[in-house]
Amino acid sequence: MANLDSLFHGFVVALTMQHVMLMMVGVLLGILVGVLPGLGAPNGVTLLLPLTYTMDPVGAIILLTSMYWGALFGGSTTSILFNIPGEPSSVATTFDGHPMAKQGRAIQALSFAFLSAGFGAMVGVIVTTLLSGWVTSFALQFSSPEFFAVYFLAFASFVGLSAAQPSKTIVSILLGFAFATVGMDTISGSLRLTFGFDELLRGISFLIVVIGLFGIGELLLTMEEGLKFEGVRAKVSLAGVLETLVRMPRYWVALIRGSLIGVWMGITPGGPTAASFMSYGLAKRFSRRREHFGTGEPEGIIAPEAADHGAGTAAMLPMLALGIPGSATAAVMMGGLMIWGLNPGPMLFIERPDFVWGLIASMYIGNVVAVILVLATVPLFASILRIPFAIIGPLIVVVCFIGAWTVGASKPDLWLALIFGIVGYVFKKLDYPIAPLVLALVLGDKAEDAFRQSMLMSQGSLNIFFSNPLVGTITTLAIILVTWPFWAGLMRRVHLLRIRQPKVIE
Amino acid sequence: MDNERALISRASMEVATALVTGGVGAAVIWGAAEHDIGWGDSGPGSGYFPFRIGILIILASLTNLVLALRRRGFGNEVFVTNAQMRSVLAFGLPILGFVVLSLFLGLYVAAILYLAFVMIFQGGYRPLFAIGLAFAVAVAMRLIFPIWFKVPLLTGPIEALLGLY
Repeated sequence: MANLDSLFHGFVVALTMQHVMLMMVGVLLGILVGVLPGLGAPNGVTLLLPLTYTMDPVGAIILLTSMYWGALFGGSTTSILFNIPGEPSSVATTFDGHPMAKQGRAIQALSFAFLSAGFGAMVGVIVTTLLSGWVTSFALQFSSPEFFAVYFLAFASFVGLSAAQPSKTIVSILLGFAFATVGMDTISGSLRLTFGFDELLRGISFLIVVIGLFGIGELLLTMEEGLKFEGVRAKVSLAGVLETLVRMPRYWVALIRGSLIGVWMGITPGGPTAASFMSYGLAKRFSRRREHFGTGEPEGIIAPEAADHGAGTAAMLPMLALGIPGSATAAVMMGGLMIWGLNPGPMLFIERPDFVWGLIASMYIGNVVAVILVLATVPLFASILRIPFAIIGPLIVVVCFIGAWTVGASKPDLWLALIFGIVGYVFKKLDYPIAPLVLALVLGDKAEDAFRQSMLMSQGSLNIFFSNPLVGTITTLAIILVTWPFWAGLMRRVHLLRIRQPKVIE
Repeated sequence: MDNERALISRASMEVATALVTGGVGAAVIWGAAEHDIGWGDSGPGSGYFPFRIGILIILASLTNLVLALRRRGFGNEVFVTNAQMRSVLAFGLPILGFVVLSLFLGLYVAAILYLAFVMIFQGGYRPLFAIGLAFAVAVAMRLIFPIWFKVPLLTGPIEALLGLY
C-alpha cells in the first residue's frame, strides 16, 4: 500500500494550478500535432523538448506527457472524420471509425473512440501505479550484466514481435547504436566516428533524428500520396456523448481485452501501433458480429483505441522503473529526463519520488482532462484540417527546422534533419521499422556502458550474462525472442508436413 | 499513362538501401579501427563496441541484400512512380532551398522566402496574401521563441543590417 500513499503525495504535486494549466496546454498542443499529418507524438514531443530545458522537471514532464495523450487522441479524430490517421497507431481506428462517421454517426464514433481510449489509458496508469513499486525493487538488485540483458531483451522483442522482416529490424537497431557512439566516448573521453568533422564532436542528437525520420520523412510520404481531406462534419452534443457512454458497458469484453493487450505491448516495447492492430485483429476474430467489421462496428473502434492508449500510458512504466522506454515517444521523453539531469531507472523512485509520483498522478488527471478537451474541441481541430495542405505543409516544414535549430543551435543539425528526412522516407516505404532506431539511439550509451562494465567484471567472458538465475533467465528469454522468426518458420513447416501426411496415407 | 510508370522498382531500391546500410557499417568499422578495438588497460577499448556493431550491420545488410536479390523474380512492385517522384521533388526541393537559405540568411528570412515562394508558385495564392502570411509567421516565430521562451533562433546579415539584434 506504500504505492497508494506515494500516489496521494503525487496528486498533491500534480494538482497545483500551474501543473493543471500545463496539462491543458500540453493536451491542446498534442491534439494539434496529432491532427496534423506529418507531425506525430514523437515529433511533437521532440519539438517541445528544447523549450523545457529551463523549466522545472516536474512541470516539464507533465507538459510533455500531456502532449503525448493529446496526440494519441488527435490521431483518432482525423482517422474517424477524414479517414486519415494522424498517428500510425490510429490506422486501425479508420477501419470502422470512418464508415461509422460516414453513416452520420460521427459523434457516436468519436465518443466510442475517446471513451474507450480514456478507459485504456486508465488501465495503463493503474497498472503502472500497482507494478512500479514491485518492478523498481526488483530492478534495484540489477547491476551492469542484468541491465545489459534487459536492454538486449527490449531489442530482441522488437525483432521477435515486429511484423517487419527481422533483418531489417536488426539493421535499424544497429544503426541507432552506431549513431549513438558518434562523438565523445563517455568512458575514455576519446572522439569516435567523427571522421574529422568538428561538427560531430557533440554526437548525433536523437532529437534531430526524430525530427528527420518522423517529421520530414512523414511529410514527404504524405506529399507523395497526394492526400486530399474530404471530411465528415461532426456536431458534438452532450446527449450524443452520454448516449454512447450508456452503450459502452455492452462492449466490455473488447474494452478490457484491448486495454490488456495495450498494457502488455506498452510494457514490452511493442508500442501502440502494434497493440492497436493486434487488438483489432483479435476483436474481429472472436466477435459474433465478425462480418460487420469494416462497416462501422463499435467493437472495431473500441478494440484498437483501448489498446492504443493502454500501450501509450503503460510505456511509461518501463521508462521510469527500468530506464527502457516502451515506445518511440517514451524514448524521446527519456532522453528529455537525461537532459534535465535526471537518471531514469530504479534509483529515480528513491531520489526523486516527487517527480515520479507527480508524473503518475498527472497521468490520471491528464487523461481525464484530455477526454474532455478533445470532445470539446473536435469542431475546432477539424476546421484546421480544412486549411489547404499547400499552406499547412510548408508551415510544418518551417516548424520542424526551427525545432532542429533549437535542439543545439547548430547549423549542421539542419542538414542532419534533412538527411534523416530522406532516410525516413525510404525506410518507411521499404518497411524498415524506425522506432527501434530511435530507441537504440537513446539507449546506446547506457547499453554500451553496461556492456563494458559487465565485460570488466568478467574479464571479457560472455558467461557473465548467464552467471546467476536472474540474468540467465533474461538473456535466455532474449535469445529465444531474437531467434523467434526462425522458430516460427520452422514450426510452420512442421505443421504443413503434418497436414500433408494424412492425405498421403489416405 | 506515362505518369503511372515505375521510375524506380522496389527491388532495386531494396538493393540500393542494403548497399548503403552496409556502407554505413563499413564506415563504422573504419572509424572504430582508429581506436582500440580490443582489450585496453581498463577493459574493452573505445573501439570495441562500435567495431562489433559495424560488423553486425554489414552482416544484417548482406542478409537484406540476398533477400532482395532472391525476391527479384517475383512480381515487379513499384518503389516510386514518375508522378509520385514529381510531387515528392516539388515538395522536397524547396525544403532543400529553405535549408541552404537558412544557413546564409537565418531562419526568419529563409522562412519568409520559402513560405511565400511555395504558396505563390505551388499553392496558387495571390502574392499579397502569401507574403502577408509569410511575414505573420516570422513575427510569430520572433514572439514565441526569443521573446516568450528565451530561445534565440538563427539570424543572418539582414537582421543585423536592420538592427533587429
